[in-house]
Amino acid sequence: MDLNMKILVVDDFSTMRRIIKNLLKDLGFSNIEEADDGTTALPMLKHGHFDFLVTDWNMPGMTGIDLLKAVRADPALSTLPVLMVTAEAKREQIIMAAQAGVNGYIVKPFNGPTLKEKIDKIFERVQS
Amino acid sequence: MDEEEKRVRLNQARALLAAAEAGDEADFDRQLAALTAGQRQPVFEQVGLMTREVHEALMAFALDERLDRMAEAEMPDARDRLRYVISLTEQAATRTLALAEEAFPVTERLIERSERLQQQLAQVAQREADNRRLVEVIHTISDYLDSVLGSGNTLKSQFTEVMMAQEFQDLSGQLLMRVINLLEQLESKMVSLLHLTSPETVSGDRQKKDGDMPEDLQRGTGPALPKASSDVVKSQDDVDDLLASLGF
Repeated sequence: MDLNMKILVVDDFSTMRRIIKNLLKDLGFSNIEEADDGTTALPMLKHGHFDFLVTDWNMPGMTGIDLLKAVRADPALSTLPVLMVTAEAKREQIIMAAQAGVNGYIVKPFNGPTLKEKIDKIFERVQS
Repeated sequence: MDEEEKRVRLNQARALLAAAEAGDEADFDRQLAALTAGQRQPVFEQVGLMTREVHEALMAFALDERLDRMAEAEMPDARDRLRYVISLTEQAATRTLALAEEAFPVTERLIERSERLQQQLAQVAQREADNRRLVEVIHTISDYLDSVLGSGNTLKSQFTEVMMAQEFQDLSGQLLMRVINLLEQLESKMVSLLHLTSPETVSGDRQKKDGDMPEDLQRGTGPALPKASSDVVKSQDDVDDLLASLGF
């Protein structure tokens, strides 16, 4: 896995963005940017050459599921690995995210080892 | 039934019979309506009574100043209080995160320097192997550095835990936002009702547009409460199982 890859963390709560960013740094990633909802994230993704997207679901403006759908619908972004880290825990929602093409799904509250495990798994699949 | 009433009834019944025999449909309907009119009277009276009761209840509702105060001041105040709770927890979480972020590299430097010192001392001990007294002192220092390294690593993982614990701010904030939305909707409905019942006491600008109606799954339904039902996953393992069943 490339520790220099460019990661976008999208969450409306700055506390959560900071926690995810710190956990990613702890895992050795350093090229991390932030956005507070899908509306700000999408143009960043379109022009920023990101390698990985970590997004919340429930956000004002554009939600994470809509962002995921927009990413999959854009030919330039359609293969971008997407990990959802969210408090949304309904089975239907997880199925909805899976159908929309999510690569991993973490339910809050979560911890560092879970984040590492899911990221490892996503990039194992992407590389194989 | 008095004599007069009896006579009227009989006349009406005869007229109905006559209309039926004559095959005059319009007259038959008219005579039937006349015959049954008396029986419908109590229903109209009941409806009238109920209408009056509803009207009076609505008037009392409009005149109840507590409701007006609730819609105008107390509900917005409750929302502000909840927003304040969100901002307080955010401040506390941000401060804790900042301190944990500062403490983390300090601990890392401590570990790094202890490791380097240990290596240097080991080299000295090798060079000065003859000097028993010195080697002994170096061992003592090296043991101490071992404990520093252990403590440093413990501190590092504890600072990570302190940071993770701040996750509560996101979850509690999302839950409070939902209560705030509910209050907003309730308030707007109450204002509409007050406006309908007594337009003169409700100023136009208090009429707020309806907030977002309850969001569907698409919008997100917020963090699950502990008592949540079976359509909600209970742990990350449940999420993994569900995704695995979908071929992930």
